[in-house]
Amino acid sequence: MKKRLLFVLSFVLIFSMFLTACQPEEVEEVVEEVEEVVEEVVEEVVEEPEVEEPEEEEPVAAGPDLDPAEVAASLPREETLYIAGLQWSAVVGWNPYSSANNNAMGVAAGNNARVPIFETPYMYNMINGEQIPLLADGDWEWNEDMTEATFKIKEVAKWSDGTPVTAEDVAYTWATHVKYETTAGVGYGEYIETVEAVDPLTVVVKAKLDEEGKAVNPLLVKAYISSEYVVQKAWTETLEARAGGDATALKEDPAMDFVSSGPYTKFYDDDQKVVFIRDDNYWGQDASMFGSLPVPKYLAHTIYADNNAGFLALKAGEVDVSQQFNANVQDLWLVDNLPISTWMDDAPYGLTASLPTAYFNLESYGLDNIAVRKAIAYAVDYDTIIANAMTNQSPTFDQVPRSVMNPTAGEQALYDQAAVADLQWVGNDIEGAKAILDEAGIVDTDGDGWRELDGQKLSYNAVCPNGWSDWQAAMEIVAAAGEKIGIEITTLYPEWGVYQTVFVNGDQQEYDIFMVWSDGAGPTQPWGRVRQLMYSKFAETQGNWNGNWGGYINPRIDEIITEIPATTDQARLVELYTEATEIYLTDIPSFTLMYRPDQFYTVNESVWTNYPSADDGRNIPPMNLLDGYSIAGLYELELVNP
Amino acid sequence: MLHTIKEVFRSPKFTIGLAIFVVMLLVVFIYPLIITDDPLDIIGLGTFFEPGIYVNLYDGLESKTYVLKLEDAAANRIASKLGEQERLDIQEYLLLAGVPEEEIDIEDTEKLLELWLNNYDPTVRFPGSTSAKRKYYARLDASLDGLLSTEAAIIAVKNEETGELEEKSLVKQDDYVNVSKVANVRVLPLGTDNFGRDMLTELVSATGVSLRIGLIAGLVATSIGLTLGLLSGYIGGWVDDVIMFITNLFIVIPSFVLLVLISYSIGQEQRGASTVAIVIGFTSWVWTARAVRAQVISLRHRDHVNLSKLSGHSVAHIIIFDILPYIASYVVMAFILQISSGILAEAGLSILGLGPKTTDVPTLGLMMNWAMIYSAHIMGKWWAYFPVIVVIALISFSLNLMNTGLDQVFNPTLRD
Repeated sequence: MKKRLLFVLSFVLIFSMFLTACQPEEVEEVVEEVEEVVEEVVEEVVEEPEVEEPEEEEPVAAGPDLDPAEVAASLPREETLYIAGLQWSAVVGWNPYSSANNNAMGVAAGNNARVPIFETPYMYNMINGEQIPLLADGDWEWNEDMTEATFKIKEVAKWSDGTPVTAEDVAYTWATHVKYETTAGVGYGEYIETVEAVDPLTVVVKAKLDEEGKAVNPLLVKAYISSEYVVQKAWTETLEARAGGDATALKEDPAMDFVSSGPYTKFYDDDQKVVFIRDDNYWGQDASMFGSLPVPKYLAHTIYADNNAGFLALKAGEVDVSQQFNANVQDLWLVDNLPISTWMDDAPYGLTASLPTAYFNLESYGLDNIAVRKAIAYAVDYDTIIANAMTNQSPTFDQVPRSVMNPTAGEQALYDQAAVADLQWVGNDIEGAKAILDEAGIVDTDGDGWRELDGQKLSYNAVCPNGWSDWQAAMEIVAAAGEKIGIEITTLYPEWGVYQTVFVNGDQQEYDIFMVWSDGAGPTQPWGRVRQLMYSKFAETQGNWNGNWGGYINPRIDEIITEIPATTDQARLVELYTEATEIYLTDIPSFTLMYRPDQFYTVNESVWTNYPSADDGRNIPPMNLLDGYSIAGLYELELVNP
Repeated sequence: MLHTIKEVFRSPKFTIGLAIFVVMLLVVFIYPLIITDDPLDIIGLGTFFEPGIYVNLYDGLESKTYVLKLEDAAANRIASKLGEQERLDIQEYLLLAGVPEEEIDIEDTEKLLELWLNNYDPTVRFPGSTSAKRKYYARLDASLDGLLSTEAAIIAVKNEETGELEEKSLVKQDDYVNVSKVANVRVLPLGTDNFGRDMLTELVSATGVSLRIGLIAGLVATSIGLTLGLLSGYIGGWVDDVIMFITNLFIVIPSFVLLVLISYSIGQEQRGASTVAIVIGFTSWVWTARAVRAQVISLRHRDHVNLSKLSGHSVAHIIIFDILPYIASYVVMAFILQISSGILAEAGLSILGLGPKTTDVPTLGLMMNWAMIYSAHIMGKWWAYFPVIVVIALISFSLNLMNTGLDQVFNPTLRD
């Protein structure tokens, strides 16, 4: 026993000696590092003899002697725009090639790409479907047979390190996406052959061709141009060198040293907040682009614990732009008299563009039967979902009859409403639903109050992620409808972490009726949504994030989905979309429960004013002032008390 | 025995506690006999309707009208649209619009409205004015429209053939209807919840369910605790060791954590109200077991127990007839506390979203959970959560009061 104690004691002694021995070395290292830094700084100063008045450079960022953490702890309110509802935990990275940055405010490519830091050639405007030049100069053009899209890069466009943005950067970005099989590379790889730089300012995007020599999908070529960021070639090469050519390493790199072209750059982030700072050398202040810098010097996003915390902050004026679902948002100005408004003053308050949809799992017992699906879909009380679950933040199905289109005028014009009017149910049709079931011979045979199909009771769960309050409330209302027509439906709310591993598997048996969002507005819509809702190729695949989660198969709809992208004749297009709508409303593989904005948009005018709104005629979409053309709103903000 | 019961009812604490509890029980039983609506029926299209009497407007128009000449009717009508705040807001606008301050008399409604009509311009944007403020003035302007009119309102119906409006009746400003004469009136004493359900009906039903959950949980917990306590205390030896080992294990793990874990792993589909109740019971028996054991140990060497042993009575007989009666008062008190904590545990679980399934039955915890999800506490919709809190507090208060009362009767050291 004593021996052992002695051993432990001597070990502790040796260990502490070892630690003491290390100490001076560490100090030396630090000294060395400091010396290196000093040398670098000296070098930099020596290397910049051209700069005549270095004093003018000083207002850039917060100055070298200010600690970002300190500044971020008390940002000047009159220079900061606070955003909420995008970021719920600490940022992981800034890598434009990665899809795991957890950096919702900064890096989010897609239909309405978020462009405060990285920029796309064009900005999408969801109000009218236009693609507005950002890095690009003027509109892009198809060649005659729609196989190549050409656009120019603005001569004034610059990276944050001062070098110009070139066509080569665009081409190299695409090459990197393909080489390292990023999400964009895989997603667009089937449709884009190459992206080439013809000269330093001209980019040609060449589509992949099918056997007939036509572009496989010109719509996705069009989408690429406004959805994916342009990344600097030189910086990409640095990143590649650091990753050593390894795809996983490249995609997992947090990219703290990124070079970008946008008006903001990272300033400070931790698990409490994310702060961007304006780049006062931003190229876009050139008259050919915005003509000025964006108004707020800082963009900040406090990381709130939950929806209610963010909501309280909005009420208190600590949040300027809120992308949260706030129940009964109108009470904020009608009852509380707060200077808060939404895109529109009256219901539905926002610009709705997405269609949260309940999918029927066609593998569940009885759900392969059209009568059962139809009866459930007819019985659901959508008016109640919209009034109660969504607190009227959605148009009703009376106002916008159901189809595969979102409520925007552009999409609504793409199908012949009169032709499918008979199929567009409004819901809460309990008697109709019962009649459908009775007719199909699905009745309650054993007297327990629930209907049976071939002797087996019809019993389903209605599922959506826990904490998604409006969806949960909607599922409750679906379940209530089931009870009224004699089909047992119980609700189930697994955590998102669990939910997302189950519904993406084509052969899952756990969820019978489950909710998934649908594509909102974008350059490929409504084609993309038709594909998402019904494309057979997605059915029964594993890890499916593309669509058709219920496993619906219909060869005719696949033909339509193939034909639409290549169709330019408007009349034919309307014909095809009408047919797609007809099939969707007849077979009912899934049913839309409500309309929902792409991004919720509630603004507080305690500090800033002149936010974009529906009636101001500026055509700036309500997308947080960050997404696509919505960023134009940042240039028009004004202080309430200048 | 009779004497003890008399003694119990002489305790004011117990009587008050019991009275509150009985009243709640009576409401739970009698209310559904009078109001037979399904508590989960969604009646309101919209969330959180305020408490009040809802009179069907269409039927109101059809009802017999009475003329009442009330002096302050016009003033009330004006005040409802043009209150103190609105007058000040109008003054602020007029000043910005360049009307000299001395011309504005905010008490003179007629003049103020005239000034407003002449000066309000929806297109003008004053420096520093927000769009929220402009929208507010637009709403105010719309609500002031026709405020001073004394004309009757015309009720017209659309002629199906011609599509024209045909005058059907006139509603004059001093027309009244008697609420009892209107065909459809719904009283919502506590308004509606986020689903548009009648809060009071739901609350009564939820109280019943919660009491049931508490009762089941209490029964399960008390019977497990009592059985294990009696066995380990009386038999002793290795039986005592094994039972105490298990009990101590359960004591070390916080029971609420255990409860959360079990509820989570059961999965929502299996979580009916009774399942939740049984789970709560299974996680809260430990202290009862320990306390019963301690009492039994002090009892087992008493003379009457030894006498019973000598008479050849079986273990079961001795436990039931010679030991149980002595600890019965404690067990009853423990049972009451278990009910109370069972109800609180259900509420706690449901607020975390781990309670019973929502579609089945309302419970107090679920009502709280949904009120929180829909931000009732932030939006000031007190009727959606405050009554629930009051009921939970009352149940727990009455049961604890009864317990304290019993304690004073049975525990000689506490007697006055």
